[in-house]
Amino acid sequence: MNSGEILTVKNLNVSYGEAKVLFDINLGVKPGQVVACVGRNGAGKSTLLKSIAGFIKPLSGSVTCDGVGLIGLMSYDIAKMGIKYIPQDKKVFSDLTVRENLELGSYATKDYNWDQVTDYFPKLTQLMDRKAGNLSGGERQMLMIGRAILGSPKVLLIDEPTEGLAPSIVSHLRVVFGELKKKSSLVIVEQNLPLICAISDKVYAIKEGRVVTKLEGDLVKANVCEQYL
Amino acid sequence: MKNFFRWWWGILLAFSLLAVLRVFLPLPFSNEIIIFSIYTMGCSFLLGRVGFISFGQPAYLATGAYATAFYLFYFGTNPYVGILIGILAGLIMSIIIGSFFVRLRSDYFALVNLALAVIFFYLLQKVLVGITKGDNGLWFLTNIASTPILDLSRPNHFYVFAFLVAMAIWAFYKYLNDTLFGACCLASKINEDKVNFLGYSNFKIRLTGFIIANTTTALAGSLYAVYLGFVSPEMTSSHRAADPVVVTILGGVGTLYGPIVGAIAYTGMKDLISKLIGNWELFIGFLLVFIMLAGEKGIWGTSEPLLRKLIFRDRKK
Repeated sequence: MNSGEILTVKNLNVSYGEAKVLFDINLGVKPGQVVACVGRNGAGKSTLLKSIAGFIKPLSGSVTCDGVGLIGLMSYDIAKMGIKYIPQDKKVFSDLTVRENLELGSYATKDYNWDQVTDYFPKLTQLMDRKAGNLSGGERQMLMIGRAILGSPKVLLIDEPTEGLAPSIVSHLRVVFGELKKKSSLVIVEQNLPLICAISDKVYAIKEGRVVTKLEGDLVKANVCEQYL
Repeated sequence: MKNFFRWWWGILLAFSLLAVLRVFLPLPFSNEIIIFSIYTMGCSFLLGRVGFISFGQPAYLATGAYATAFYLFYFGTNPYVGILIGILAGLIMSIIIGSFFVRLRSDYFALVNLALAVIFFYLLQKVLVGITKGDNGLWFLTNIASTPILDLSRPNHFYVFAFLVAMAIWAFYKYLNDTLFGACCLASKINEDKVNFLGYSNFKIRLTGFIIANTTTALAGSLYAVYLGFVSPEMTSSHRAADPVVVTILGGVGTLYGPIVGAIAYTGMKDLISKLIGNWELFIGFLLVFIMLAGEKGIWGTSEPLLRKLIFRDRKK
């Protein structure tokens, strides 16, 4: 494991049946860092996050968090270790209320401090008794992120958080991610280049299942990232 | 006090109405409704909350019934002990069977439970005929001893006992629905992947739900055994496999009072319609098709929102 990294992916290879989708992926995340993965549709970005989260078993390679290997662990055990995955689909537990959705997050992590959620997303306070299935897309995303940050996770894996959302909500999420990085590391898959370049410390460009470049610091700019898409 | 009443009012109202119904209905009919409601409650919880449809409920019913029957036929005479043994047998069997079955997808789960019911039928009818007496069944009504306070050997006392047990069961399931476990079951039914991402094990949630549901079913089997004083393999035959599922859908899947409403409707129709037409099951079949096409909510599932509107509209006035 590279020193100082909270999450390290080394030589990760993943396939869906006979179709190999990720080839020797290497990725490192330090505490408090925001790491973005960019790439065209089908590049393998979501597959990378799912593999880290334990949803897909890789062919080979390693994924470690604080030195602990994650390959072979069940996804719920990985979640208990503090690596939370927020999928792309914005599907919440629709028949449960917002309150019940948050209670599920609290019980699993024994963290009942909802102030940290409502501080980031004040609107959720008014929606506590509403069925989650009746929320708008933006409200669902707030709920999913709010539920995931309970328990102060070490790493948040967020898959396309701004897809389909109104610009005002995207702006709000930009602020939230900026705040979240003080407590957790973020790995974000995004196609909104201005957003990720504004908040990211590091960007990996993925093309056809391979990391084609890694950008850090001053090189993290939208016009620089775009050429790798 | 207000919160206490608010929590209990639905159960008290439902069981008060059931008690009133007893005045108008014959005792055997009332006992049948109570026990059948408990039988259906397990199936309703499995289908409505956990998301598993099971055509094997007769197997778990027979587990409770035969465990109680074996005790009362071969070993003892106390019906309360017999019922406890039936519940224990159901619990043990649920733990063992559930550890394997809940790993299956919902459609395979339905089929493997049906296979279990068939296996049980043949075990009870043929393989274990030495102790089950096969199709002749086990008769032990005269073995059941009188018990103090509520003498379960007397049908009217048995009714009171079954009524109280049913109330306790409903209170337990209402409590479950209100707990985080109830929310976990529903969440697992809606999206099992997201439940994993939160740190919960779907297997543990489903297994716990399975055990609770089928122990309830075994309890119903024990009550049948004590009430009838007789058990036979007929209770687990494959043509009875759909009974609890039919009643669950009829009453309203996943609703708290659907099993009671469904049991009343099903037993009532079976009793009334069979006097008018020979093939009452045909009527039930058409009714089920109508319910499914009309929105799958069942009698109580459809009535409950209308009743709530009526009650709350009256309160506002």
